[in-house]
Amino acid sequence: MSDLVYRGRAWVFGDNVALDGDIMPLEFAISRETRPEVLSAHVLKAIDPEFPNKAKPGDVIVAGRRFAQGNPHIQGFLGFRALGLGVVVESIARSSFRLAISAGVPILPACAGVTKGTATGDEVEVDFATGLFRNRTRSVKHSYQPLDRILLTMIANGGWLPSVKKRLTAMGAA
Amino acid sequence: MGQTASEKILSRVLRREVRAGEIVFPEPDLITIHDWYAANTADMLATLGVERIRAPEKVVLVTDHEPTAVSRQAAERQKKVRAFAAKFGIERFFDVGRGGHGHIFPVEMGFVQPGMFVKAYDTHVPNFGAVGALGIPLVTEIVEVLACGSVWIKVPETVRIQLTGRVHRGLSIRDVCQRLLVDFDADRLDYAVVEFGGPALANIGIDGRFTLCNTPIENGAKSALVEPDQIVVDYLRPRVEGDLTLTKSDDDAVFRWRGDYDLGVMEPQVAAPPRPDNVVGVSTVRGIKIDHAFVGSCASSLYTDIRDAATILKGRTVSAGVRMFVTPGTQEIWARADQDGLLRILVDAGVVLTAPGCGPCAAGRIGPLAEGEVSINTGTRNDPGRLGPMKADIYLASPLTVAASAVAGEIVDPREFLP
Repeated sequence: MSDLVYRGRAWVFGDNVALDGDIMPLEFAISRETRPEVLSAHVLKAIDPEFPNKAKPGDVIVAGRRFAQGNPHIQGFLGFRALGLGVVVESIARSSFRLAISAGVPILPACAGVTKGTATGDEVEVDFATGLFRNRTRSVKHSYQPLDRILLTMIANGGWLPSVKKRLTAMGAA
Repeated sequence: MGQTASEKILSRVLRREVRAGEIVFPEPDLITIHDWYAANTADMLATLGVERIRAPEKVVLVTDHEPTAVSRQAAERQKKVRAFAAKFGIERFFDVGRGGHGHIFPVEMGFVQPGMFVKAYDTHVPNFGAVGALGIPLVTEIVEVLACGSVWIKVPETVRIQLTGRVHRGLSIRDVCQRLLVDFDADRLDYAVVEFGGPALANIGIDGRFTLCNTPIENGAKSALVEPDQIVVDYLRPRVEGDLTLTKSDDDAVFRWRGDYDLGVMEPQVAAPPRPDNVVGVSTVRGIKIDHAFVGSCASSLYTDIRDAATILKGRTVSAGVRMFVTPGTQEIWARADQDGLLRILVDAGVVLTAPGCGPCAAGRIGPLAEGEVSINTGTRNDPGRLGPMKADIYLASPLTVAASAVAGEIVDPREFLP
């Protein structure tokens, strides 16, 4: 799963980043917007208005505890996927963990203390399949618990919907 | 090494021993789908080209979020749900006026048994933990369960709470549950099944157990269940054919946390805006004027909840300027409350009764707020917008506190209103 290695800059955020509001304006959840080109322009702009323009594919969100807390609206994670971002967090709410998988966003969900040793702009390399987090600016690396292989496969498939289509085809049910 | 009840339930379904942390695809014994979401489910199945679902006999389809369609749009949606039931051969379809709340009546009707694994397209299916079943909510992914038979879950860890003590007079299990959200923070509950056991369970009937299992997910728990005992057996005996298996955790199972919790909370508890875990003693918020009061929702629409409201409202009237709604959870609860004269007490007090189901709690489609208004109710959540407008304050409390506040026109301590 070599496509699960992300190389880019780190974008560091604190604790309790909210799914509705901080990561994505609530209006897109209410209107059930799912178009990547629409959602990508609004990712995290409540915290940094320029973020959608500055972020590049391969960049990694590094955040603290209870990342993406709030009601389970997938739009924020669809936005991350549209921008090609990975997510490395100290902890994440249960329902949002599921949304990340569904949207096909690679994630390391339990990286204690990761925000302490990383600053926005650091060059990082994250292998989401093995859990290896390398901060090349600071020449340090950490090994975190990666996701289960089943979930990595779903992410590599592009998320929940493509995975279900594959499963249905394999079952000969559709 | 032993297993938790949840590990045992999932091991039975998967026909191999599983432990917390594993990613598995267990096939549920029962699937509930609720009106609003059935229409989306139908659309998604069509998108995927699915013409047959794997096990229509496992599905219970319910009309509870908006039983009394109050708009043309709602009537059209109900029509779509009926077509969905017919197309996929779902025989256990409980439409308007048939069952009531889909997180409650399947237990009354004996569809839910201890040790069952249930999936639902709605949040509060942990209610089925009242009889020792493991209910885990889903959203869109219910489509995969219908089409393929299962969807991934991570076998959850368990937080085991041994209940001790007694609920004080003028308080109810709802007060205890709200207090629990403060005492057990999101980090402890996240992704865990909360399992209730201990000596005090002997004093908590099935009704209170629904409330117990309903609330922990507001703080991130995956589900909740009560260790099934003789009270469960006595309740289900006339409702279920065949033997009941009581699935319980082993003493040497591995728990995330295990400890006691005393039911003797000292003061009625109120969740202030904007979140269900923003809980304070009633004395902190007393005197706040209200416009709207409501007893109902999957958390608090059981017979004992209606009885608590009637205890306060007997011989009194709802304050001028306050509108109060009561939504008995199910047809069965309505009938029993009627038979026992409780509904008459409510009607005499000026209460509006609404059709069994979610009542106003389902986003305020029924009996909403206007902008700037204040509600005290027994709903599950108080996020901005839950009862319609974003700019309106919602306080959550026990049926006793809600009824007393409706009489006073402001938030009060119900202990001053006890007969």
